[in-house]
Amino acid sequence: MACASKAEPAGPAGPTIPVNELLEIADYITKLKRGIAALRAQELTRDRIPMAHDELGSVVAATASATNRIMESAEAMLEIKAKTLEEYRSQVEAHIGDIFEACTFQDITGQRISKVVDALGQLEKRLSQFSTVVNVRDGEAEHDPEEARRKARAEKLLLNGPQLKGPATPQDAIDALFS
Amino acid sequence: MALDLGMPILVVDDYQTMVRIIRNLLKQLGFEDVDDASDGTGALAKLKTKKYGLVISDWNMEPMTGYELLRHVRADDALRTTPFIMVTAESKTENVIAAKKAGVNNYIVKPFNAQTLKTKIEAVCGA
Repeated sequence: MACASKAEPAGPAGPTIPVNELLEIADYITKLKRGIAALRAQELTRDRIPMAHDELGSVVAATASATNRIMESAEAMLEIKAKTLEEYRSQVEAHIGDIFEACTFQDITGQRISKVVDALGQLEKRLSQFSTVVNVRDGEAEHDPEEARRKARAEKLLLNGPQLKGPATPQDAIDALFS
Repeated sequence: MALDLGMPILVVDDYQTMVRIIRNLLKQLGFEDVDDASDGTGALAKLKTKKYGLVISDWNMEPMTGYELLRHVRADDALRTTPFIMVTAESKTENVIAAKKAGVNNYIVKPFNAQTLKTKIEAVCGA
């Protein structure tokens, strides 16, 4: 196209867009479509995210169930009223067996959590590739008012949550503040 | 001065498992009169209907946090002297300082053991 980089003259309807800009826009749209396709958003919302939701729900239910079983056994042991040592030992061993059984949840929840970690890794990879393709920074996005409210509340009420790798301030240091 | 094992204690936590753990630990220590609430709002309602000798509260709860509950308790003439222990995973120094400024009597970081709970109750309740 001989005139691809030249500006078109203004017509009766007003100024026209230069052809090279149109080509850039077309190129950007093509890249954007490829980026959106690579996101595989339908697969994420249809399969991976519901799967992660279900798996985490199962993990919460399994850990709660196991904790309840373990606590029930421990509470039952505290209440044992046996007449002989043998009888006491037998009842304690039965409860310890229940505790061991309850602890089997860990293997299954470990596998479930691995699936969720894998799904999050896939999501992170695709979003990272997409943001590179569209070349948009976080600051250009509109802020979610619900998220802003949640952040403001957490900041005001000092809701930092548990720290990774143990408490940020050890109990001894806290005790020193109260001594 | 020995601990008053008959004093009513209010445990405030949104996780029933944690309430159950604290209840059992208190039972082992000899306390029998233990009530519970699942957030600050429920706790405040119970504090207004019964005289408690001690409040043991988590920090991170909805809709009213343990920190807000503490401030309400200290602002209320009828409740301001109630001993208050925070038992929480919020372990940043800013949290501890804020709670101390708000009038908490002691502060325990989760996870904790029975001995830590016992020591703090004794320190707060003057055993």
